[in-house]
Amino acid sequence: MPGLRGRLAVALVALVAATVVGIGLGTYAFVDARLRESLLADASRQVRFDLSVLVPDRLPANANSAAFEQSGLPEAFRLRADVETIVDFGSDDVWVSGDALIGALGTMPAALSAALAKGDVGYAWTTVAGGRSLVVAGRPATGPTFYFVFPTTSIDAALDQLRLGLVVGGAVAIALALAAARGLARRILVPVRSGSAAAARIAGGDLSARVPETGSDELAAWATEFNRMAAALESTIGRLEDAQRQNRRFVADVAHELRTPLTALVAEASVIEGRLRSLPPDARRAAELLMADVRRLRDLVEDLLELSRFDADAEAATLVSVDLGRSVAAIAAARLPEAGVFLPGEPVVATVDLRRLDRIIGNLLDNARTHAPGAAVDVRVTRADDRASVTVADRGPGVSNAELGHLFERFFKADRSRRTGSTGLGLAIAAENARLLGGSLAARNREGGGLEVSLSLPVTGSLPGGDDPAI
Amino acid sequence: MDGRILLVEDDASIREVVALGLRAIGFSVVTAADGPSGLELWRVERPDLVLLDVMLPGVDGLEVCRDIRRESTVPIVMLTARGDTVDVVVGLEAGADDYVRKPFEMPELIARVRAAMRRRDRIAANPKTTPSGSATISVELRLGPLAIDLPGRRVTRDGREIELTRTEFDLLAELAAQPGMVLSREVLLDRVWGYDFLGDSRLVDVAIGRLRAKVEADPARPELVLTVRGSGYKAARPG
Repeated sequence: MPGLRGRLAVALVALVAATVVGIGLGTYAFVDARLRESLLADASRQVRFDLSVLVPDRLPANANSAAFEQSGLPEAFRLRADVETIVDFGSDDVWVSGDALIGALGTMPAALSAALAKGDVGYAWTTVAGGRSLVVAGRPATGPTFYFVFPTTSIDAALDQLRLGLVVGGAVAIALALAAARGLARRILVPVRSGSAAAARIAGGDLSARVPETGSDELAAWATEFNRMAAALESTIGRLEDAQRQNRRFVADVAHELRTPLTALVAEASVIEGRLRSLPPDARRAAELLMADVRRLRDLVEDLLELSRFDADAEAATLVSVDLGRSVAAIAAARLPEAGVFLPGEPVVATVDLRRLDRIIGNLLDNARTHAPGAAVDVRVTRADDRASVTVADRGPGVSNAELGHLFERFFKADRSRRTGSTGLGLAIAAENARLLGGSLAARNREGGGLEVSLSLPVTGSLPGGDDPAI
Repeated sequence: MDGRILLVEDDASIREVVALGLRAIGFSVVTAADGPSGLELWRVERPDLVLLDVMLPGVDGLEVCRDIRRESTVPIVMLTARGDTVDVVVGLEAGADDYVRKPFEMPELIARVRAAMRRRDRIAANPKTTPSGSATISVELRLGPLAIDLPGRRVTRDGREIELTRTEFDLLAELAAQPGMVLSREVLLDRVWGYDFLGDSRLVDVAIGRLRAKVEADPARPELVLTVRGSGYKAARPG
């Protein structure tokens, strides 16, 4: 996972790798230098002995290779198994201790000749006859130039082993570091992860989520702060919810308390309404107004009570499968007979609560009637895939785009100045009912003017036991 | 219209205006303000219909309803404060025949009272028709082991009388008049309760449940009054 944990692990491993490589290279260079130094010291000592003691004793001055063969020196040199010898007598007269060395003289590095020219013993690390070697060269006071070739095979083998050891050891160290880094990173990140899990739970609405506060490091302090924040959030939200609950209960209580006098009022007004003709004209008009206002008050209280039942989650749906088209047509015929009804050719089967469907479509029709008085209203049932739509469209003034988003809010009235007789709760109630049926409401302005509100519902399969002919 | 109505309602204004409205069209009305006095008055007066507020102080209206039901099949119409909650179903299960939501306008209440009263008289007044009006020469219907005496409004099962409320009797008579014919809830609401559009289908379902409890051998597995899923109810065909 390329997160903080991954980056921590990578950084730790990189650090370990750099250390391991550094130590490895240093060790290798140190051992390499020591081994060569030691070989060179031995070789130099031997060569100086040969040149200053052995050769002057046995070899006459100005000797050639033939004389050298007779001097017994070749035998002496051959006794030293791991040293090869080249003797240069000048004028292409060269003696070699083994056939492999024929022609090797020409490959000697220039630095060696330069050292010889100064009359000193010189040496060079070079390749002679295909083998890596130390060549030590020197010249006695008089006579030919001697090249002693010391193969570095043993040093190379030792260095090879050392290299292998370092690479394997380094790899193991890095692998261990990787494992350790991952474990460590996980350990370090455990509080961070529990913190993000707790934050996700809080975001999901579980305000009681907390992180464990263990230890006394910075992460523990962070956990404490996190928990304090969560506790503050929980208590604030709790207070707000309490306030909202109280608020809603108050509305419900008020509406409920209003209901008894309202019931008396409605019944009384309806008795007076039945006697309108026997009243003098002034009183008759007052009685008409009284009845209209009592009904308005009744509608408002009823709507408030219905909303408070939704708020208290006290509403339940009685679901049945119906042909949506026929149900909507029946509702429209009862609620607004002059509305145009357009149904699809096929039955659209939806699972609904008929009383709630009646409430939703009825409220949409009421809305169309009050806000677009006299204008044509269309009710259209359509189906697209697994959703069915019931659209109520009017040719009224519509609403501004800014107001569209508020249309389903409680007491929202697009035309406040106009006395429409609506409670301002109809669309909010319709939206709550739609939610209860697993659907939703959406509003938009029509092309050519007017408002349309659509109820979207999930479509089910076919009707169990056939279509219900009654509705 | 004649007939005596007992009104049990705790709010004085509602009690007075409802009594006023009912008396104005010819009913005689006695009123009670709480459950115990309502029950007492019922036993003294034996009214033709009871209007019962569900929310009563002291004894619950539902309790009063059950007590009356134990003694009589008199039509009971509940006055309920909440139309959409379980209250309605609980009230119907307690034995009420119908309900009216508060707040109501008097014509609405009078229509429900008249529908419940008319049911009482309908079949007795015209013994040669079924409740739906189709002509028949029989005044006795048979449904399995049940004998339904239409003019006498009596139902016997293997000679033993079964006590049905008027709503239950009408429901059974409607179904038994056309065995095998599916009647939707809406049709039954119209014919038995007198609702035209979108009555509460729970009225039918609860009444069917109460009817089955009385006439079926095993109400959990009905053999006489059958449910047709998604459509309605029917009486079993003979044989």
